[in-house]
Amino acid sequence: MNPIIDLIAVSIERTGERVVRHVDLTVIEGSWFGLIGANGSGKTSLLRALAGRLPFASGSCRIDGVEMIADRPARATHFGFSPPADTLPDALRGREVLELVGGDIETIWPRLGPLRGALGLDALLDRWIGDCSAGMRQRITIALAFAQGHARVILDEPFNWLDPVAAFDLRQALRAMVDNGLTLMTALHDLGTLAVACDAGIMLAGGNVAMELDSRLLETAAQDPQAFERQTIDRLRAASVP
Amino acid sequence: MAGEGAGPAARLFRYDRRIAANSARATFSGWHDRLIAATMLLFALAAARSWLLDRAWPITALTAFAGSVVIGSTAGRLIAVRLAFHAFDGPLAADALRPVLRRRYLIAWCAIGLTLLAILTVIARPSLLIASLPGYLIGAFVGHVTGKFSIAGFGTGKAGFGRMLRSWIQRPGAGIVAAVILLLSLAFTAQYLRGDALVVVAGIETALSGLALTIVDDSSVRFQTIAGQGPWRIIGRQARGAMLFVGIAAPVCALVFGPALAAVVAATSIATLLLMAMRTLAYRIHGKGFADFIVSILTGLLILTAFSMPIVLPFVGIAILWQLQRRSAARTWLLA
Repeated sequence: MNPIIDLIAVSIERTGERVVRHVDLTVIEGSWFGLIGANGSGKTSLLRALAGRLPFASGSCRIDGVEMIADRPARATHFGFSPPADTLPDALRGREVLELVGGDIETIWPRLGPLRGALGLDALLDRWIGDCSAGMRQRITIALAFAQGHARVILDEPFNWLDPVAAFDLRQALRAMVDNGLTLMTALHDLGTLAVACDAGIMLAGGNVAMELDSRLLETAAQDPQAFERQTIDRLRAASVP
Repeated sequence: MAGEGAGPAARLFRYDRRIAANSARATFSGWHDRLIAATMLLFALAAARSWLLDRAWPITALTAFAGSVVIGSTAGRLIAVRLAFHAFDGPLAADALRPVLRRRYLIAWCAIGLTLLAILTVIARPSLLIASLPGYLIGAFVGHVTGKFSIAGFGTGKAGFGRMLRSWIQRPGAGIVAAVILLLSLAFTAQYLRGDALVVVAGIETALSGLALTIVDDSSVRFQTIAGQGPWRIIGRQARGAMLFVGIAAPVCALVFGPALAAVVAATSIATLLLMAMRTLAYRIHGKGFADFIVSILTGLLILTAFSMPIVLPFVGIAILWQLQRRSAARTWLLA
């Protein structure tokens, strides 16, 4: 039970407004941490800031016990992160973008482990990204987060645009990798995945932590997903009422 | 982690170089594409050489310096914007956030621009190197610094006002407002200036209004392309304000200030519409950076043609539009 990410009272500003306010969270090594919340609740901003893509406005961000609140490059180096699928360059093939980020493809395969099959990457290697569907692009961006061999990875809504089979296979593959030591943080809209696959999480509403989801609560949720869904939706509705 | 020992300093550069090389290969994939490009390049170089050799050295040196400042500032700004993209949305953000790697990336691309400019200057008139190279470096510095300021809000959404302004000036009503402002301004200026001076003022004001009315948002073009909109439909929608502007301003100018001034207003407006059409078509084919690069080269070619052989200008303009439209039409619905 080794906490590797420790955020204390972090805030993030966008458009001159605080979109994340005084959020505390702790992520344990070798676990899957899920963030849920309504659109615009601050999930993406929080994950981007943690991965160095945005600055924190205030608070404390300790990674492996080292304070990194003001050190964006260090945060970016610590995490694998999937870029937004629509920002991938049309003029590269799947193989090219993976190799430019992670080195030779034969070096990348072991880092991806079960994701190679789950994401169907072999079929995407020689395809131009400009000719890929949104789901195909999403598969490549997920692979990019793992291509450099990070043991801590942040994925923002990784199941978007995936067909049901691919989403199922990806969930299984990610869970297997977490069981083998990967530390994973994901933003999610799928309460089923949160209940079944995640070890802990938080619900964000209006930039604040509306609910903490510890392992015991999620174990209960996995036993009765319908009751968990009802409870969570009620919380989200209540949080969205001004 | 991978990359640390395998030369991370070069990863950012290699990433963009591969994109540029693939884009260039795709742009000139057919033999006729390469032939047209080679012909245009030869023609542009010959025209530039002829123009520069026919004039006194001080004039050409000043022109080369000014042109190099513009080229350098465009390059500096493009590099700053690209680095901001890498740091916010790119898969190599960790590299793009490290000051040492950022500097190396900046120097590498600036050096490429400088080398190309030096080659072109040597072909056109070698003695101008003394003006073009410092001009480029000054421009690149200014472009990089101003680019960094203008993208300070990249990813943090601080560009909200700019987005709102762009949205407003693309409405047809903006064209009417711009035409009224131009006419009132010319009526006022006519009390103090006459003849050629008034025509020059009209040209400058029309160019500024036309450029403002034909701003192209690359993400909007991309979205409309994904949604199945054809190229001319997108161009038509974006041209409404500028069309209303020229439709009102040119006839009123002809009646009040005479046909010469009206012709300048009409020609300048058409030039801004042509630029907008080229940018829209290019954004359907390429990413913003490479599209802007292509359009700046084509614009330079058109300017050279206008100076050296104005009678050929409409044909060159039509050829460029046809070539861009042929490739952009095939992009409709892609990425869906």
